[in-house]
Amino acid sequence: MTGFGGLTAFRTGISLFALAFLALFLLYPLWMVMQASFQDEVTGHFTLAPYLKILSSRYYVASLDNSLIAGALSMVCASAIGVPLAFCLARVEMPGKSLLMTLASLPLVLPSFVGAYALVLLFGHAGVITTALRRIGLPVGDIYGMTGIVIVFTLTLYPYVLMPTLAGFKAIDISVEESARNLGASRWRVFRTVLLPIVVPSVLAGALLVFIETLENFGVPSVLAEDRPFLSLDIFKLFAGESDANPAAAGALSVFLVGITVAVLLLQRHYLAKRRFATGARRTPSLIPLPRPWRLLATAYSWGVVLLSLLPFGAVLVISFLQFRGPVLSWQLGLGNYATLLHGSYQPLYNTGILATVAALAATVLGAPIGYVLVRHRSKLSTALDVVAIVPFAVSGTVLGIGMIIAFNSGWLVLTGGWLILVLAYVVRKLPFSIRSASAIVHQIDPSLEEASINLGVSPLKTFATLTVPMMAGGLMGGMVLVWVTVAAELSSTIVLYSSRWATMTVLMFQALEGTAPGQSAAAASILILFTAVPLLLVYRFLRRQDGSLL
Amino acid sequence: MTAIRLDALTRTFGTVRAVDDISLTIEDGEFFTLLGPSGCGKTTLLRMIAGFSDVERGSIWFDDRRIDQLPAHQRNIGMVFQNYAIFPNLTVAQNVAYGLHARKIARGEVDRRVAEALAMVELPDHGTRWPHEMSGGQLQRVAIARSLVIKPAVLLFDEPLSNLDAQLRTHMRVEIRQLQKSLGLTAVYVTHDQEEALAISDRIAVLRGGRIEQVGTPEAIYRTPGTAFVGSFMGATNMLAGMVEASDDDTTRITAGGATVLVRGRQGAAGDRVLLSIRPETLRLAADGHDGPQLVVRLTLREFLGPILRLHATLPDGTALRVAALGGQEVRATPGAEMALGYDPAQIIVYPAP
Repeated sequence: MTGFGGLTAFRTGISLFALAFLALFLLYPLWMVMQASFQDEVTGHFTLAPYLKILSSRYYVASLDNSLIAGALSMVCASAIGVPLAFCLARVEMPGKSLLMTLASLPLVLPSFVGAYALVLLFGHAGVITTALRRIGLPVGDIYGMTGIVIVFTLTLYPYVLMPTLAGFKAIDISVEESARNLGASRWRVFRTVLLPIVVPSVLAGALLVFIETLENFGVPSVLAEDRPFLSLDIFKLFAGESDANPAAAGALSVFLVGITVAVLLLQRHYLAKRRFATGARRTPSLIPLPRPWRLLATAYSWGVVLLSLLPFGAVLVISFLQFRGPVLSWQLGLGNYATLLHGSYQPLYNTGILATVAALAATVLGAPIGYVLVRHRSKLSTALDVVAIVPFAVSGTVLGIGMIIAFNSGWLVLTGGWLILVLAYVVRKLPFSIRSASAIVHQIDPSLEEASINLGVSPLKTFATLTVPMMAGGLMGGMVLVWVTVAAELSSTIVLYSSRWATMTVLMFQALEGTAPGQSAAAASILILFTAVPLLLVYRFLRRQDGSLL
Repeated sequence: MTAIRLDALTRTFGTVRAVDDISLTIEDGEFFTLLGPSGCGKTTLLRMIAGFSDVERGSIWFDDRRIDQLPAHQRNIGMVFQNYAIFPNLTVAQNVAYGLHARKIARGEVDRRVAEALAMVELPDHGTRWPHEMSGGQLQRVAIARSLVIKPAVLLFDEPLSNLDAQLRTHMRVEIRQLQKSLGLTAVYVTHDQEEALAISDRIAVLRGGRIEQVGTPEAIYRTPGTAFVGSFMGATNMLAGMVEASDDDTTRITAGGATVLVRGRQGAAGDRVLLSIRPETLRLAADGHDGPQLVVRLTLREFLGPILRLHATLPDGTALRVAALGGQEVRATPGAEMALGYDPAQIIVYPAP
């Protein structure tokens, strides 16, 4: 290529570096997990024994079943509450809508296992509400197992359906609807035959993400499954269990998990590639003039769903300031829970802060140029990068963590036990986010701006540094905060990779859950809630990003 | 001042030859337009000159200097983009000064030249404004000032007026033309609008499928299109399929649409299949009193367009024929009636049938 000077080298360099990075810290660990699953532990020969063992074990088949059922149910429930909410937010006039939209995206970044823990705290065996109701003679159903898990997943993951569907409803040009009305269709008929079919791809895209998240999630089942079999939980137990560790079986289960999520992700991409109905409205659809009772109903529903999804987190915050006597709650305010939790050491707080900051910076510095290259310069190399860069979506944190331990425990590159392995795992897992947010910004910058700058005599590389990067800055900041927040709430790979020196707040919370002092868990949970909610709300406030466009 | 020479330029995208072996010479100070439908390669050709599209084969010369090996930012070419490409994060004056800063011009001279350029595009007091405070037409002026201020060797325009409304478009094209003439710059202009091309250019190259169909002055391109494609692309024309009846050195008789049409000169031998291009304005209402050959048609519809009266008619076999007469004329014929049209055999162009 002539005429582009340093830019060609720059973009090839970026693509190669990113591919090498992902190959080393994503594909290589995954390969190691797969290899372990096909290897006889004693002889080192190829074997299918771990797979046969899993498929013939009633426990592990149940584990697969439970995960898939929980995923499917959560997907359906999240869609069932997300789609009507999206329509109400898009088309019905209601008070406090912009606040509502900001709040509605919170559950995605709040740590879901904190939500699960809140449910236990309120409705568990010794839960606050359970005890209170039992005292007046009302029995409470069991929230452990499938019920509780699906409830938590539905309430924390429905924004995955809400956001794209809301965008979908808003992107339908009003003329489409007007012409349907003009042809004699009633409002309800228009909704059923025009609007709904147009947003179905968006709904499905979001629902499949819910499914993937559900399969991969480690924290929620670890709080709510008790002893029931669950895929992500069993992988961890098989790998890190004290009595029955079996890396080969853990590997085999991991291969199942990754296989399913990759298949679902490919299905989603394949499906979406063919269906793009809603393509930018010239006139955004107007609000529907609903009669007052219906409007009140829509308002109550929307606020109800959003508040219900945030309620557990609020409850945890409140409870964390109350004193416990053993497992029993006393209604006295105090900071005792926090004092006991941190026993004078703020190290986990610092650890979370440092790791999240380093990971967010690294993911942004790496993700921004990749996002730029993917949008601006299509080549075989960047297409390969595009494909590899979505793999982290399909790989659960636990599996990646296990792979990194196997890969970097010995040999030429030893990373286990330090902070770097945690940061690397975070960067790999969050890279798709930062790439996506960078691409989204680059899409909004007209390429002719860069060409004009080059045409006026500024070299391509300097144009990128002095024109493109400053124009991307605002959006990059938003993406960076998002990475920071999700890393601070990360449990599934941290729990595999941490060492005691680098235990984070999520680890502390996880350990507190295993103990018998609910107050400490509540305190840890509250700290995590603040760590995640505050930065995000600040970003919304200052970057004026609504509709969850950051997510 | 600069003459541009393109020598056997080629560029393929996949299997499509976007630019297919194009050679052209654009004279110093000439306003040269690349005209064609979308996908004809005109934009790719312009971007090759600017350095944004790779030259696969061939070469580009500014006078006797070869420039296709130079990176885009060292070519000293001014370019005006379709969507203005004004930097939203810089003020108007900073936008105009951008290229001067890149050339490390001293501060005082930058200010002087920016003021001069803004005055040239009639925005003398707008330097401190932000782009979002300006209208589309004003932004286009800023873009022009920004590309003039660097004293470019050549000025390129990529459909610069297509985002403006019709009235502003005709106004701006006059201004662009006057600026270019007064500065004596060589300009290459890309458009798909044939009227714009006719109005603004010294010469036009009509492109199709990556190749040049015809190069010539606006008059030559319009009056004597070299191919049927150019004929139909340059404004409305009646294309009639016909067959040569008889021909001699003076006149050729051609049957088309159930009528006989006379064309000047020998246009093939009897039995040859041909295409006739008859421009609507070359047909006259025979009531004007001209003698010479006539066509008898049946009027189907009349459209009064102000300056022009357009008549829709059919030839004896039902083939549609459009006629444009000056609006001031009295036409008595009513739809359904027959009428006679006069024409000059010299103004009818004959192409071999494809």
